[in-house]
Amino acid sequence: MLRYSLRSLLAHKLRLVLTVAAVTVGVAFVSASFVLSDTMGKAFDELFAGLAKGTDVVVRAESIDANATARGQVRPLDEDIVDTVRKVSGVAAAEGSVTGFALILDKDGQPIQPGGAPTLGSSTSTDSDLSGNFSLRSGQVPAAPDEMAVDAASAAKAGYKVGDRAAVIFEDGTEEFTITGIVGFGDTDSLAGATLASFETATAQKLLGKAGKFDQIDVRAADGISAVDLRDELAQALPAGTEALTADQVSGESAQAIRDGLGIFTNVLLTFAGVSLLVGSFVIWNTFNVLVAQRRREVALLRAVGAKGGQVLGGIILEAGLIGLVSAGLGLAAGVGLAGGIRSLLAAVGIEVPTTAAVVEPRTIVAALLVGVVITVVAAVVPAVSATRVAPMEALRTATPADGSIGRSRSTVGILLLAASAAALATAALLKDQLVLTGLGALAGFAGLVVAGPLLARAMAGLANRGRAGGGWSLAARNITRAPKRAAATALALTIGLTVVCAVAVVASSTKASVTDLLSGGNRADLILQAASPTGGVSPAVARILDQQAEVDAVLELRFSQATVANKSASIIGLTRDTVDHVMDLGITAGSLADFRNGSLLLSTKQAKQLDAGVGDTVTITFPETGERSYEVAALFERDALVGAGYLLTLDDYAGNVTSRMDAAVMVTAASGVAAGKLQQQVDDALADFPNVQVSDPTEFAKSQQASVDQMLGLVTALLALAVIVAVLGIINTLVLSVVERTRELGLMRAVGATRRQVRTVIRRESVLMSLFGAIAGVLLGTGAGIALARAMNGEGISSLDVPLASLAVYVVVAAVIGVLAAIGPARRASRVDVLRAITVD
Amino acid sequence: MTSTSVAKPPRGTGQSIAARVEQATKTYGSGDAAVVALDAVTVDFAAGAFTAIMGPSGSGKSTLLHCMAGLDTLSSGQAFIGGTDIASLSDKELTLLRRDRLGFIFQAFNLLPVLTARENITLPLDLAGRKVDGEWFEKVIASLGLGERLGHRPAQLSGGQQQRVAVARALATKPEVVFGDEPTGALDSRTGAELLGFLRSAVDDLGQTVVMVTHDPVAASYADRVVFLADGRVVDELQAPTRDGVLEMMKRLGG
Repeated sequence: MLRYSLRSLLAHKLRLVLTVAAVTVGVAFVSASFVLSDTMGKAFDELFAGLAKGTDVVVRAESIDANATARGQVRPLDEDIVDTVRKVSGVAAAEGSVTGFALILDKDGQPIQPGGAPTLGSSTSTDSDLSGNFSLRSGQVPAAPDEMAVDAASAAKAGYKVGDRAAVIFEDGTEEFTITGIVGFGDTDSLAGATLASFETATAQKLLGKAGKFDQIDVRAADGISAVDLRDELAQALPAGTEALTADQVSGESAQAIRDGLGIFTNVLLTFAGVSLLVGSFVIWNTFNVLVAQRRREVALLRAVGAKGGQVLGGIILEAGLIGLVSAGLGLAAGVGLAGGIRSLLAAVGIEVPTTAAVVEPRTIVAALLVGVVITVVAAVVPAVSATRVAPMEALRTATPADGSIGRSRSTVGILLLAASAAALATAALLKDQLVLTGLGALAGFAGLVVAGPLLARAMAGLANRGRAGGGWSLAARNITRAPKRAAATALALTIGLTVVCAVAVVASSTKASVTDLLSGGNRADLILQAASPTGGVSPAVARILDQQAEVDAVLELRFSQATVANKSASIIGLTRDTVDHVMDLGITAGSLADFRNGSLLLSTKQAKQLDAGVGDTVTITFPETGERSYEVAALFERDALVGAGYLLTLDDYAGNVTSRMDAAVMVTAASGVAAGKLQQQVDDALADFPNVQVSDPTEFAKSQQASVDQMLGLVTALLALAVIVAVLGIINTLVLSVVERTRELGLMRAVGATRRQVRTVIRRESVLMSLFGAIAGVLLGTGAGIALARAMNGEGISSLDVPLASLAVYVVVAAVIGVLAAIGPARRASRVDVLRAITVD
Repeated sequence: MTSTSVAKPPRGTGQSIAARVEQATKTYGSGDAAVVALDAVTVDFAAGAFTAIMGPSGSGKSTLLHCMAGLDTLSSGQAFIGGTDIASLSDKELTLLRRDRLGFIFQAFNLLPVLTARENITLPLDLAGRKVDGEWFEKVIASLGLGERLGHRPAQLSGGQQQRVAVARALATKPEVVFGDEPTGALDSRTGAELLGFLRSAVDDLGQTVVMVTHDPVAASYADRVVFLADGRVVDELQAPTRDGVLEMMKRLGG
């Protein structure tokens, strides 16, 4: 049987290639997801371990919120704690450091802005043992107030050399420095993509707004003292509110934080991989179904000459296993390449991720092989079992198997599932905030499509069954009706990808509409200022400059931080109290803005409902740096989406609890009588020193927000394109198999006068019908799910609903084109059928 | 589109030639392995007549039929349908010739399973985008006794009924020649006799031209003339054959 299985595999190279390709693409996606996140994880591990080299213990302020250290949000220490630390026995050396916001400008005055990584400023270590693998590539460490060192990656990007002058933007404004050194980190040129400007320590403290403070103190143990012992020793000597950790703990903590972040990223990628695999399973399932059906006679012959059912089954499973194994191997190799491709794709939309040599963990290999082999074998088992049940003589008698019957119960169940899905999605859309119901509705919808698919395929073919039997769409439609299960499974592979694309498109479109609504709803600002990069911020100096412009009336600063309320993560905003009312209409529903002062807060109606709090009640916020603080609710507001947070504090209260002074946004209104264009011109001029600040009027702001939504949509669509490619392979596969199956029919058509073109047309139309069926099912389900999902995300700020009909129509047209393209090969094959062979009795 | 003259000359002796081959040679393979299937065959088939081609296995009878019908190409020599030299036609022209001017009945698998009997019959007309000649269609259907079966799919028809549908399909375009390749080969003798009766009446009553390959002397006896092939050559022929006459001839040929 083994030899037989091998032979039968090799005898049909084309279908082998197509089947392998379907599995390979899915497996490649899975392995790429793992490889990419493992590689990134390793890059960060190396980085943190390298930076901590030579340091045994780290002293820093105690973190109140266990999660906050992950975000690096701890309060700075007084610098004299270094002296306390140095006096502890067993300390060989101790050095304080500060880190903060510093944006280096290039020679043209444009910011050197990495995609997703921060722009850092820091103090420079003078103790070479404590500086880890932080090393000078050229020049020397900065020693004077107007000197700085920059990381090698930024230097290369901007063309800076030692001796050049370069400007840097800080929280308090822009200053110019002489570059005295270019630094690297071991072999890497940058810290995980971040830019770094480092200064002599006292200068750094001043520039980063931490005069007399240190973020942390690095300590090296004397010879013979272990890091753990030294940590315990230090813990006793340190004042309350300070903690000592071994360097391993700290780098482990940082690496873990990064891994958690990457975990989300990996999960997103794996979701897309899952979609491709699901599509791939459909294709494989279908292929084996057809293969086994076509080989019924072969199987029957084997059975007739004495092969046991088990042997036949074993043979088919062995064949599937081999295909799975080969595909998984190819997929694994392709995955390593694809990981690089996804990285480039992310970089193209501004998400730069650090990298090192591609990491292929044993887990990745196991997952790839398992996924490839298991999916293929499972997809092959069911048709294989049914093949062995065929009585030998029956199979030998009938030429081609009939697959046209659809069980009544199957149809009933499918239609019920579809109805349930429609009801669930409609209910979810009406009720809003029904994420679970939406999920269930979408799942039921897909299950319904799978179960009722053959019925729907037949119905669709019925609609297309027009015109003359020999020409027109009729013959194509009837060929689909002949094997509706196969047609449905082929089409559904396309449905899966399109469902997700459409759902995402509806949500994205609704998000864009919400942005517009939002700005027209409560905004009174004439200009909105934001950092050009999502990871940056606006220096508070900007607000001070704007305050002095005659053309400017009100200036509102907005700062944004995460904290904990009632054991849940919450977004907190600090804003300029006096100008809130000038710049935005928050939609106060209870209480009064007049009562909003230090010690009180504004609470969104949504949060108020969750906390069961009202005006006059006290709300406790746990800040990561300073711990619990209580505020009296001054008023409730409705338009939380306008600011993006449910808790609003005065800027003073905020600054008392959050060290970073960077503004998330600055909003400005024009003085009376000043035209919008004039105001913008004036503001642009006044902020010439801040090229990282983007000044937009509300319309431009909305556009830029919408552009970033479009970018994410593009990214998701690109990732899902792989799933669509697998589906196309499936269509090609089904068509080729059915052409092979129908060789005699096609030959007969040719014999009685069908031209090659007519034969090609029939095949192409079958392909288009299947693609359209898949696409329409996907667009309908995806749109339904997308509407329900957008409604479910009402709480996340998607207040409007918008169905992008034009895009959806484009998807359907693209699907039809895909159908035409997928049919090219099979149709050509069909038109070249040897007429004589086809009509001669074998 | 010309169809056969209705004014019918005497059987098998008319001046009008429906199909003809001259010096038709067909070889398969090359060099030592070359097999000569047809060896400079020259023969013509009269319009309005029922001709059978007989010969032992490997005599080249099927190859001759296929080459005359534009399903296969000659290695050398010429084949004519009416006045058309089909050797000079492109693949597309051959296809249109088969569609518009010829009819076919194969031994088995004559029908597309997804089409009804009626749709199978009109398939060549549908492919051509031509209208069905209602009067002719009714005449053919009536003579074949297919009236009640037109809405059925091939799977719902018996073997004999399927072959009758195939005959109707072959006649639907009023072709110049109907070619049959062992049309009764897969039928039992009673059904086969019935089918041959229909072919006979297609010639007698509908004025059609039929050329049929067979190895069955009974089938051949329905024809006006039998052409005998052996080793790729025409070796003899019989006019107005009887079963015994054909058997005799076959014995002589060693078939």
